Amino acid sequence: MKPRSLRRRHPLVTYPLLFLISFIGLLPFYWMLSCSFKMNEKMFLMPLQWFPNPINWSAYGDAWKAQNFTRYFLNTAFVAIAITLGNLLLASLAGYSLSKFRYFGRGVLFLLILSTMMLPLEVTMVPLFLIVKKFGWPNTYEGLIVPFLVEGFGVFLMRQYLQSIPNELIEAARIDGASELRIFAQIVMPLCKPALAALGVFTFREAWDMYIWPLIIVTKDSLRTLPLGISLFMSSFGTAWDQLMAVAAIGTLPMVLLFFFLQRSFIQGITVTGLKE
Amino acid sequence: MRLGASVSTKSRSLWKPFRLNIAAKQALFAYVILLPTLAIIFIFRFLPMLQAFYISLTEYDLIRPPRFIWFANFIDLVQDPLFLNSARVSITYVVFSCAPVWVLSLALAMLFDREIRAKNFFRSAAFMPVVMPAVVNAVVWTFMYHQDGVVNTILGWFGLDPIPWLRSSRWALWAVIVIGIWRATPYYMIIFLAGLQAIPQKYYEAAQIDGANRWGQFRHITLPLLKPTMLLVMVISVIVAMKVFAVPLIMTGGGPADSTRVLPLFIYQTAFEFFKMGRAAAMSVFLFAAVMIFTVFQIRLFSRGEDR
Amino acid sequence: MRLFTRFLVVILLVSVTWICGLAVGAGTAAESAKPAFALPTENVTIEVWWHEYGPFTAYVKELIEAYKKLHPNVTINATIASSTDMNQKLTVALAAGTGPDIMDADASYYVAYYSKGVLEPANLDVFGVKSYQELAAHYVPGGLASGTFDGKIYTLPYQGNSMSLFINNKLFAAAGLDPKKDAPKTWKDLVALCPKIRKVEGKRTVQKAFEFPYHSPRWQLQDLQPLTEQFGGKILSDDGKTAYLNSPETLKALTLWRDVTRACGDPKNTKSTASNPNQDFVDSFTAMWITGPWATPQVQASPIKNDFTVVGLPQVDPSKPHTMVYGWAWGVNKNRPEKNKIVAWDFVRFMLSKPDEWLAKAGFVQPVKGVSETEVAKKFPFFNVHMKDVQTATWYIRSENVNEIAQTVGRAVDSVVYDDADPKTALDAAQAAAEKILKK
Repeated sequence: MKPRSLRRRHPLVTYPLLFLISFIGLLPFYWMLSCSFKMNEKMFLMPLQWFPNPINWSAYGDAWKAQNFTRYFLNTAFVAIAITLGNLLLASLAGYSLSKFRYFGRGVLFLLILSTMMLPLEVTMVPLFLIVKKFGWPNTYEGLIVPFLVEGFGVFLMRQYLQSIPNELIEAARIDGASELRIFAQIVMPLCKPALAALGVFTFREAWDMYIWPLIIVTKDSLRTLPLGISLFMSSFGTAWDQLMAVAAIGTLPMVLLFFFLQRSFIQGITVTGLKE
Repeated sequence: MRLGASVSTKSRSLWKPFRLNIAAKQALFAYVILLPTLAIIFIFRFLPMLQAFYISLTEYDLIRPPRFIWFANFIDLVQDPLFLNSARVSITYVVFSCAPVWVLSLALAMLFDREIRAKNFFRSAAFMPVVMPAVVNAVVWTFMYHQDGVVNTILGWFGLDPIPWLRSSRWALWAVIVIGIWRATPYYMIIFLAGLQAIPQKYYEAAQIDGANRWGQFRHITLPLLKPTMLLVMVISVIVAMKVFAVPLIMTGGGPADSTRVLPLFIYQTAFEFFKMGRAAAMSVFLFAAVMIFTVFQIRLFSRGEDR
Repeated sequence: MRLFTRFLVVILLVSVTWICGLAVGAGTAAESAKPAFALPTENVTIEVWWHEYGPFTAYVKELIEAYKKLHPNVTINATIASSTDMNQKLTVALAAGTGPDIMDADASYYVAYYSKGVLEPANLDVFGVKSYQELAAHYVPGGLASGTFDGKIYTLPYQGNSMSLFINNKLFAAAGLDPKKDAPKTWKDLVALCPKIRKVEGKRTVQKAFEFPYHSPRWQLQDLQPLTEQFGGKILSDDGKTAYLNSPETLKALTLWRDVTRACGDPKNTKSTASNPNQDFVDSFTAMWITGPWATPQVQASPIKNDFTVVGLPQVDPSKPHTMVYGWAWGVNKNRPEKNKIVAWDFVRFMLSKPDEWLAKAGFVQPVKGVSETEVAKKFPFFNVHMKDVQTATWYIRSENVNEIAQTVGRAVDSVVYDDADPKTALDAAQAAAEKILKK
């Protein structure tokens, strides 16, 4: 990897800093996992038990069986993946349109899309529910997915990122006779991997996290999503802290997996290529 | 350029009313690819938003039909100490969680944008806060903020007394702010990283040849070229911070003594616990206006240098 | 007692026979005494929504299965949400014109729902009575007060919870006290016990003697209300239009709250949350705690097992006891087809028909006559104590603005306890806010 000009610094400063940052970043995860393997009675000992002793292996199994978690998990995965893919595609197209082309109303449309991000969902929820009801979508996957298929945030992010891609690149391709669609798919998109990765992770997390909307729109248990399942579990019968942490850990797993997958293929890959030469 | 206005030399002699010139073709393409997004956002976001604006002018308890009362909600809110407190809490939260995030995430991005051994491990570790779902986040941190919990234990390592984080009107908001910073920094770090890596290497090399030192390179190459990214981070972080809801709801419920009753939480409670949707909608309008003004201001500020 | 139990069993058998007879469409001798009433025979699907609580959910699911066996033409769809979520879910659904046939809400919420016209009054035919008074007569006096509006009954409670004092026997014994003999009868008694039980190490509270709730404004008002009444005052007028938050009695109550907390508890240190209000007690972190009979199964499932005692709520003046009762109730949605509503009320009747099972399986006490005499009640730990507190109780305040008022009160309590605010100032502010709320 080519080192960049701003890069050389004292390793004495860099590495301790990195360790500190890693510690801060990982601490809640470690704590969650550690508590999920602790016995309930030892949960609040003073001084704190950093490592569980004795190890409690039953929390995960017990918690998972307590509710229909497998179904919730699959539902949430399906919905989150659909929303993420939708956002990646539509936001890229929209961002490209808003950043690299000039046309009447461009500024207004952008502001319009942006403005929809600014109202909290609580207030738009009731009108949104009425609209969704007209489509016949309560208690369906469409109802969970379509209103969130693209969001202002994604459009904004892609637009900003695409602005930093030089126009010459696109013009050159046009002169070479490539169609607009080809330019988009084969030249512009590959350059957007970092932004797409960032958008993908964020959208997936927000979609995975969705709480209020599924609460309103889903009455069938078979469509329930994982955050609702966790909430239900929490109010069930007094907290078995170990089980709660176990459920939390399982709920975090897909995001962790997604991140590791993305890490390798997207973020790591672009450091070598940069943009051009 | 308007659709159909012909400036191109190529097609002037062959001008036929129905053949679009190049600029128009491009504009058409741009409209078409924008269309799906526009449709979805219009139907599922914009229309409900307009409806919410309408509701803010009414008294609406969600079950009986809305009753039009003009601006009574707004006048009432401006004099309501609870609303003003909520606004204050929200603004405090936004300022103290966003400003550090801007600085920290850029600094971290620059830290990672270099040659480091075991880069993957460090970067993954730093990114982990993003990965935690909101509900899990709230639950785990509640645990950690407990009187005998992790955070106080770590304070104890430095000889500090334990702080009743969630059970003190002085500290509760700071507890929430810390979580906000923890969660947001890595995310914007990645965005800045992506932005940093979009800057072509040759600019730096050229500047080095011209004799610019590291600070000069930062000022004249990095910062200007990062402007779109900086705008993005600043605007998004403020919008997200203004809407933060899950952590205060689950961790503190707005207490103690309203110290963590951020505006979205207050709006939610006003709508669904007090059955005052009109009032809640009016509060949202205030929130919307504040964020909108900030955003437009920022966009203007940043776009002055954009088209050069 | 034996005879009475037998009598109850006979009534139950007759009711079951009557239902079966109806379902089959045939008449029996018992039926001819009832008014002509037919349960729909075509396929009906109804939706029931209720809030999650382990034993409760399990029991209702059992009841659904049992009802389906009796009425194969009825399909019952269940939706469960946590109690904090249920309110929002229900409100949005009703706002959109959807919503369940049978809803489950805290009794105080029904004032709002009634005033918005979403409730269907109880179907007298289904219950086999001729008037609402006759229906109310099945319950203890005042048992249906919270569900009665304009003389008609709109909701039926499946629990009427008093709040009594739970004592951890082990912690008492460790402090050299006997839960039976030394259990406090008055607040003064309670405060006197605290120095022996509360344990502090340096700046940390290791064990609390007694704690008031801080995890939800609602619970705070639930405890402040009887305290105020014990001093001879009221929180809200009966018509719900006037608040008395800064009356001398309320002030005495809040001052007492503060003084007890200073002597016995540590509000800064708690694991109880809105979804787990009893956590501190169940963790043996506090020796005494005010909660309802529904907490019994939870306590029994914890390490405490049966090593606990329940006594009546401490009083200011034991000769004039004042306690509080609240409850969750079933209501039926008015905006549904007629046949749905009939089936809905019948299912509600069916669900409520065995109060002893509610007690045994969920720990819920229905304010219905005859519960105390059942076998289950006799085996339920300290049932008589709970029942006694129910009998001296007033219902939790009823108002369209109950949540806002609770939040106002909670605010005052928090500022006094956490920020050492002056109780009079805090209550004056609360009263001003309450007056504003009630004016609208």
